Amino acid sequence: MKSYIKEFLEVEKPKDYYGSLVAEIEEKNREQHFITTLNSNIASEDKGRLPFTVKANICVKGFETTAGSKMLKGYLPPFDATVVERMRSSGNFSFLGETNMDEFGFGTFGLNTEIPARNAFNSNYVAGGSSAGAAVATAMLKYHIAIAESTGGSISTPAALNGVVGFTPTYGTVSRYGLIDYANSLDKIGVIARSAADARIGFDAIKGRDAYDTTCSIEKIGNSGKKKLFIIKELMDKAEKPVSSSFEKLLDRLGERYEIEEIESGIIEKAIAPYYIIAMAEASTNLAKYNGYKYGMQYGETNKRYNNFFTEARGDFGSEAKRRIILGTFIRSESVRDRYYAKATQVRSMVIKEMQKILKEGFIISPALPIFTPKIEDAVKLTPTQNYAMDVFTVPPNFGGFPHITFPYDYYDGMPLGAQLVTEHANDYALFDFVSGWEESFDYRFKYNLGEL
Amino acid sequence: MDDLEFERLLKTTRLKLDDIERAAIQKDIEEVIGYFEKIGEIDTEGEEKAYHPIKVDARLREDSVSKFADVDMLKRQTKLHDGYIIGPKL
Repeated sequence: MKSYIKEFLEVEKPKDYYGSLVAEIEEKNREQHFITTLNSNIASEDKGRLPFTVKANICVKGFETTAGSKMLKGYLPPFDATVVERMRSSGNFSFLGETNMDEFGFGTFGLNTEIPARNAFNSNYVAGGSSAGAAVATAMLKYHIAIAESTGGSISTPAALNGVVGFTPTYGTVSRYGLIDYANSLDKIGVIARSAADARIGFDAIKGRDAYDTTCSIEKIGNSGKKKLFIIKELMDKAEKPVSSSFEKLLDRLGERYEIEEIESGIIEKAIAPYYIIAMAEASTNLAKYNGYKYGMQYGETNKRYNNFFTEARGDFGSEAKRRIILGTFIRSESVRDRYYAKATQVRSMVIKEMQKILKEGFIISPALPIFTPKIEDAVKLTPTQNYAMDVFTVPPNFGGFPHITFPYDYYDGMPLGAQLVTEHANDYALFDFVSGWEESFDYRFKYNLGEL
Repeated sequence: MDDLEFERLLKTTRLKLDDIERAAIQKDIEEVIGYFEKIGEIDTEGEEKAYHPIKVDARLREDSVSKFADVDMLKRQTKLHDGYIIGPKL
């Protein structure tokens, strides 16, 4: 099994390794914009440990943490998130920096922020979102691991578009304490790495109960291998060429080791609308706390009247954030709450039950995205609902809190294509074993290897 | 969504939009609400509500005093008067 982490930890590093790495990153970051906050002191702190980054919505004590938003400009958290504290105390990792993202996680392509990250394979293409910088950093740095976060596909999508492994754990296995929330019942902190073995090492470092997060309640994580792969017909019908044709070739190869069955499921296909209803309802309450004086951006005009002050101060939200705040507030209005929010929670129940039934028998496999990586100039023209439709494969497992992993399976026009594998709740380890098996016969390609020894 | 309802939402959310942004967002919101209407086609009769994707046990931690982070670091980022954060007039 390929592990860049083990390789790095076992060899002696040149004397100024970390200083040179920081210089290399600073230079490449001018084009790729994957890092938002860089720990230039890593050289003085490090004791031969592997550099790790966190998505910019995970608090790191004393380092500017903005969640990609102007509203949090200048915010220096006074504490480490649990995942950061666990990475540091594992003894194997040193904090390198924070990675670029869509504002508060609101985006599929990484474009909803002031200066978006660029795809590691070709900077004219989107990096994917919302953990855009995490995936680009992993594709560019040879020895590094990224702690990222997914609400509806924010790990799978950028990992797939940058040709790296993206792992989203079962909801409730990793503490969210210190995460700047998007939607509390959907947010999951996970890992992006260059191999399945490395993603597992990262997961082992951050998982486990935490007194500061009551939803972090799953302790036992299993490894029940499956012999069957299910394809959901209604979802696959949405995949366009070359994704559909390349994916067929992947199935041919996997067919040598697994039984593959196409099934129909009406309810899983319908997960996108209820997912966005719940996500926006929760987001609109979470974003109510950004008011321009307690922390982050300081509006300063405290002589203004109460309502005027808040209305002016909240002007720095980006357009997508404003759209979601308004929509989420509308959804929670008394007159329509049952029609949208309550009903969406019932649909979530139906989706979970349906997926549990399927996942008991085998994995669900699909492409990560229905389309080939779009160019930035094309992605910006998509309407909101066209954007949401891009999440057709990533929303169902995220909506139901099921663990899933994305891995590169082909290259087209020099760009990677990623597949997504889903399993039962708390069966996360089975995903690493599956992808490690795939890696035995398929070599991942990387355009950059910054920090190579 | 009519203009009156949109105005109500802007007031509730404490958001102010200029004319161009308002036109764009109002149009987008119409489109998204139309998309959300699809949920009405799903028969959810008798279905339970899932507020979380997994069962979350009610767990309580020890009721003990602990220091929350580095409060001084937070204080240095805001405008203070006698140790209180300065906010707008009520």
